[in-house]
Amino acid sequence: MPSDVKDTIRRFILDDLEWPGSAEQLSDEFSLVDEGVLDSLNLLEMAHFVQSHYRIRVDEEDIVASNFETLTAIEAFVLDRLGTASPQSSR
Amino acid sequence: MDFGLTEEQTALRESIEQFAQARLNDNLVDNDKAGVFARENWRECAKIGLVGLPIPEAYGGSQADAVTTMVALEALGYGCRDNGLIFSLNAHLWAGASPILRFGTEEQRRRYLPAMCAGEMIAAHGMSEPGSGSDAYALTTTAVRDGDRYLVNGSKTFITNAPVADVFLVFATTDRRRGFAGVNAFLVDSDTPGLTVGEPTDKMGLRTSPMADVHLDGCAVPASCRLGPEGGGSAVFNWTMERERSFILAAALGTMRRDLERCVEHARTRRQFGKPIGSFQAVSHRLVDMRLRLDASRLLLYRLGWSIDRGQPAGLEAALAKLSVSENFVQSGLDAIQVHGGYGFMTEYELERDLRDSVASRLYSGTSEVQRNLAARQLGLS
Repeated sequence: MPSDVKDTIRRFILDDLEWPGSAEQLSDEFSLVDEGVLDSLNLLEMAHFVQSHYRIRVDEEDIVASNFETLTAIEAFVLDRLGTASPQSSR
Repeated sequence: MDFGLTEEQTALRESIEQFAQARLNDNLVDNDKAGVFARENWRECAKIGLVGLPIPEAYGGSQADAVTTMVALEALGYGCRDNGLIFSLNAHLWAGASPILRFGTEEQRRRYLPAMCAGEMIAAHGMSEPGSGSDAYALTTTAVRDGDRYLVNGSKTFITNAPVADVFLVFATTDRRRGFAGVNAFLVDSDTPGLTVGEPTDKMGLRTSPMADVHLDGCAVPASCRLGPEGGGSAVFNWTMERERSFILAAALGTMRRDLERCVEHARTRRQFGKPIGSFQAVSHRLVDMRLRLDASRLLLYRLGWSIDRGQPAGLEAALAKLSVSENFVQSGLDAIQVHGGYGFMTEYELERDLRDSVASRLYSGTSEVQRNLAARQLGLS
């Protein structure tokens, strides 16, 4: 499941957000904000995608950079909303 | 599909129209010239629940749903010819009270919302800066954390209600390098040391809605006054703008309806070349176009309200409604003057003021160009 979330988000960034970089650049800790993958509108698109794809609730308060900063952060957020322990939180 | 209003909504519309016609239209020409904000009329609006329309009763509001709120605002726009007062009320509702309800802590809600709904406290929204308008997140106002407070420095421009506001929703960045991600929102009371309001700004229209620049010079803002989570300023701003652009032109439906009725009456009674001017197609077709714009605007807005009440995503619908209604508002304002000929150009006829007031609708809450950008993005076009 964890790798599924990250891979799914990678594909979304490349295919839907049409980020011009490569999948290899999108490492787990790659800062999507500092590297310009996400701006304020892309962030909304990402939030809507995560909400509809995983059928989880994403409130306005959740749409902040800290929840979408990296693939690892997004995965943790998704798993938290799914009620599934993330690899980090289970350590 | 039901396009009708409920009995309660119909009764509300009638009562607000009658109230507004009777209470809110004194000295409009003089007030417009002098740029006078009708504070007493604001209080009158508060007495019948208009300045707390969408706010829950628990905080002193009217707890109206989205469609009912639009009905009330359309009625206000029809009965009240002071578009500036209505604009101030909209800024207060959508860019002040609503984000406090949506993102505020219980303490923040209790502190501000009852007084706002009672007409005792007026809110203003401080995002725009001299160098950042449509590119909102290019703001330069900074907030530096200092223990249990932030020190805020910067200037805000075009701030509606600033000269009369009791609290400002101020956006500032804690890390400019991170763009939108560094933005935070703060509730700053007007008497906070270091906050100063500039001279009222003179402007083309909406002259009875006071506007000024706001300067923050080392304003110490308690951390408890941050609205929303740390780094959540963009979430607050995006949500607030979508809410504002959804509702801010509901009153324009009323203004357009009032002006259309005046135009039809004028076209039926004004005679030229031995006939009522409405018998000439050049005039009658213009009036039909005005009616078409009014109906299209109403359908777009009420569909949007219907979507909001069902909790459905409405970003595209909000952008389309804002774009279309604002453009229709301006064009119908021009047409109203054209139908009235030289009389329409005269201040005492109070049509030229509606036109001047309408022009800003293509600018505030996101320009028409920004609305098209937002809609294009919703269509999957970058």
